[in-house]
Amino acid sequence: MIDTLKKTSLEFFHKQGYPNKKLENWKFTSSKNFKKFSKKEISDISIANISTDETTLLFINGKLCLNTFKNFRYRDNIEINELANIEEKAILTFSDTFMNDAMFNLGMSEFDGGHYIKFKKQMNVEDPIKIVNLFQNDTSDRRIVSFNIFHFEEGSQISIIEKDINEGAPSFNLKMNKFICDNASNLNFAKYVEGKSDCHLLSYSYYKVRKDVCINMDSMNKDAIFSKEFIEIDLNNTGSDAKVNILNLVKDEQHLDNNILINHNAEHCTSFQHVRNILDNKSSAVFNGKVIVAEGAQQTDSNQSNKNLLLSLNSTAFSNPQLEIYADDVSCGHGSTTGALDENSIFYLRARGIDQSSAQKMLIKAFAKEVIDEFSLSSVQDISEIALDRWIDG
Amino acid sequence: MIKIENLKASIDDKDILKGINLDIPAGEVHVIMGRNGSGKSTLANVIAGNETYEVDGGNITMEDTDITEMSIENRALEGIFLCFQYPVAIPGVSMAYFLRSALNAHRKYQGKEEMDALEFLNKAKAILSELGLDDSFLKRSINDGFSGGEKKKSEILQLLTIDPKLAVLDETDSGLDVDALRTVAKGVNKFKNENNSVLIITHYQRLLDYIKPDVVHLMIDGQIVKTGDMSLVEKVEKDGYSWLEK
Ligand SMILES: Nc1ncnc2c1ncn2[C@@H]1O[C@H](COP(=O)(O)OP(=O)(O)OP(=O)(O)O)[C@@H](O)[C@H]1O
Ligand SMILES: [Mg+2]
Repeated sequence: MIDTLKKTSLEFFHKQGYPNKKLENWKFTSSKNFKKFSKKEISDISIANISTDETTLLFINGKLCLNTFKNFRYRDNIEINELANIEEKAILTFSDTFMNDAMFNLGMSEFDGGHYIKFKKQMNVEDPIKIVNLFQNDTSDRRIVSFNIFHFEEGSQISIIEKDINEGAPSFNLKMNKFICDNASNLNFAKYVEGKSDCHLLSYSYYKVRKDVCINMDSMNKDAIFSKEFIEIDLNNTGSDAKVNILNLVKDEQHLDNNILINHNAEHCTSFQHVRNILDNKSSAVFNGKVIVAEGAQQTDSNQSNKNLLLSLNSTAFSNPQLEIYADDVSCGHGSTTGALDENSIFYLRARGIDQSSAQKMLIKAFAKEVIDEFSLSSVQDISEIALDRWIDG
Repeated sequence: MIKIENLKASIDDKDILKGINLDIPAGEVHVIMGRNGSGKSTLANVIAGNETYEVDGGNITMEDTDITEMSIENRALEGIFLCFQYPVAIPGVSMAYFLRSALNAHRKYQGKEEMDALEFLNKAKAILSELGLDDSFLKRSINDGFSGGEKKKSEILQLLTIDPKLAVLDETDSGLDVDALRTVAKGVNKFKNENNSVLIITHYQRLLDYIKPDVVHLMIDGQIVKTGDMSLVEKVEKDGYSWLEK
């Protein structure tokens, strides 16, 4: 199955080439930036300086490290299969949007060694599972492609904290992840990047959601020099909730793009997108958010909010919240604001004796905290606040 | 305490303050009344150092220190406190964090040790109860979702915590119910002593039934045109301002 998929994907990519700016999803983020990278053979990998504990699943350059899996506390509740062994096409396919995106097809044609990881029925973890993605690279301009599928079976309650660590030469990490959430599953998925990296990131996350599911997706990005993240959520059955909270901190010449599509295909679902960008220097950020409420998806409750705080006159934010509604009994809101720190607020704080720089920091922090406070895991809130403080002071 | 000489200020090339003279000695309460738009809030803001206004002439001296060019925060640290007519809401910054930062900035400036969270909490709680506010008030974001009355009480809470040398109250009495007005007046009277000064900007006599002013000034079109005692307030209540215009 995989081989056919790879072959058609490669043909697709050859026919389309790198996406151009006329495509809605690539309007503000030029795929040119990915062109200098190519697939290269990977030499031996050392994992000496990564310590993992029994709640960690380690992925090296996108591939699950089976050695660490042996010590994994919950391994009896998890079933692992190589993607190469999957014959069922439906498991491997993503949304139409992704399947028709040239870069996604490039990824599909090129990955090797991905896994299908199934969290069994009713599995319930107390401590969050940590996923560590170690990108180790010794050659410049290498493209590292990964593809993994996470399947949460009925009634499972899982929290995952995903952390990307980049070591060695800066690479272009092209990540494709599919999440299948069965009935009444509950997923908290938080991610962040550790350490300064000059990596390029392009990620595709597709959530296929069944009935009465609750998903929280939280993320804070501050290190990628150039990144574009696609998130698509299909709410295919009734009674599910999806929440996406993202905080991006960008400076220098960083460019970050969040492309989120939520499809309300069934009644009584709620979705919530909350993306905040703080931009300094010559950085830029893009928010492309879309909610599509299909015909018959009554009682949909959805909200999109994008707020951009510009700390420099040279930074730019592109914001494009969109709503397409084909049902009549729905409540959908969307809004976007972009602006500098509020002068009146700064005056107020300074008029109480707080110096200008502290006043500005207080307001930046307040802006960021409104997203961080929405994160579902308190440990991730703590990590994020520390990282935020460092970023503000740095 | 504060001495203002021939102060002129403008915004977007529009002259608003046209030569203000004001001298408030320590221990005194002064009142400024005047029509809407006559420049009262502008004066209060210029005293506090608001950079939106251009100072075109004159000077402001605080206990022999010329503060005309001083930064906003340094004026505050020198003892100026403005109770805002329209306090701004700052979501995401808690009252407790804000107030302790402000207090400690003052303490540091005065060469005192900073207050730890517990010490601060005890101090703040005592003031809160006097203002009839719940302790949970400190957990809320600055002025965020506060009612009109809560905003004014929040300003008085800050005044009593910071304990400055000069309090400028810009219509702190507006929009308060009878009980809240009494509470606010009580707060101001608690603050007041022979070593500090109060400048009250108001449209009504009602606050002055609780706080006895020493001097009353009437402002018209960016200038103080008359100075006197409490009888001026009564005259304004009765006759308005037109008798001041020639
Ligand atoms: N930030 C500003 N931008 C533009 N004009 C301003 C600004 N602040 C004040 N003004 C103008 O300056 C004049 C004086 O305003 P100010 O707020 O000082 O009056 P006030 O005496 O406090 O009035 P009120 O009794 O209504 O509070 C008004 O004409 C006002 O429109
Ligand atoms: Mg005013």
